[in-house]
Amino acid sequence: MMNDYRYLLFVATALFALWAVMSSKLLTSAIMLALVSVTVSLLFFEYGAPWAGVFELSVCAGLITVLFIGAVSLVRQAEEKAPESRARFYALPLAFAIFAIAGWFYLPPFFNELAGWARPGTGGGTIGLALWDLRRPDLLGQVLMLAAGVFVIKSVFPRRNEK
Amino acid sequence: MSHFAYEWYSIALIMFIGFYCMLVSRSIVRQLIGLEIVSKAAMLALVSAGALANNLIYAQALLITMIVIEVVVVAAGLALLVKNFRLHHSADIWKLDSLKG
Repeated sequence: MMNDYRYLLFVATALFALWAVMSSKLLTSAIMLALVSVTVSLLFFEYGAPWAGVFELSVCAGLITVLFIGAVSLVRQAEEKAPESRARFYALPLAFAIFAIAGWFYLPPFFNELAGWARPGTGGGTIGLALWDLRRPDLLGQVLMLAAGVFVIKSVFPRRNEK
Repeated sequence: MSHFAYEWYSIALIMFIGFYCMLVSRSIVRQLIGLEIVSKAAMLALVSAGALANNLIYAQALLITMIVIEVVVVAAGLALLVKNFRLHHSADIWKLDSLKG
């Protein structure tokens, strides 16, 4: 079995995710999503992946939450005037329980088999070596990806031409 | 049963929640929330596999790339939401098709 702390964090992540999906208020959903990010980053630290944890905590729990709250504040009034039907969301705990029980019989044996495919690495090196040396060409890809994001925003909101 | 199997079973449950949200909701915000949850589950799967193979360094390097992509996708999705909202005063995903052209 997993150690207790890790197990607790997985349960907390699933609970916050359920809360984020089932909440009728979008603001609560956005805050619960931030808490999902926090528990996921704690899991990263628990696994011994501190760099991933720091990025998750600062970018996903911080920046993305701010973006979500900004968008929610814009659409909140319209959502409250014409809310979505909640019936399908209320069915989530039932669907989740059915998936969990059915998955319990089939998924763990499959994942056990999957674990046998792992090719153990040496575990050496540093994150600096992986990011700045071995995967140097990827950095250009990441910069291009961010540039693509900026370009999307620029094309979705073009500057208005008075003429 | 190994640790890995239990961890991935938990990850599969989290991923199910995200997929369910994307499946049943018509709100763009909720679609993006579902996408975020699925993405978190995928990240956990990556780190768990990295820990299993004793290769956490490369898993982390891949994860940082994934976080960058996630930010771009969410920013683009929310930009579409704002644009759609300005035109239709609604966050309904079915009205996105009227943005074409």
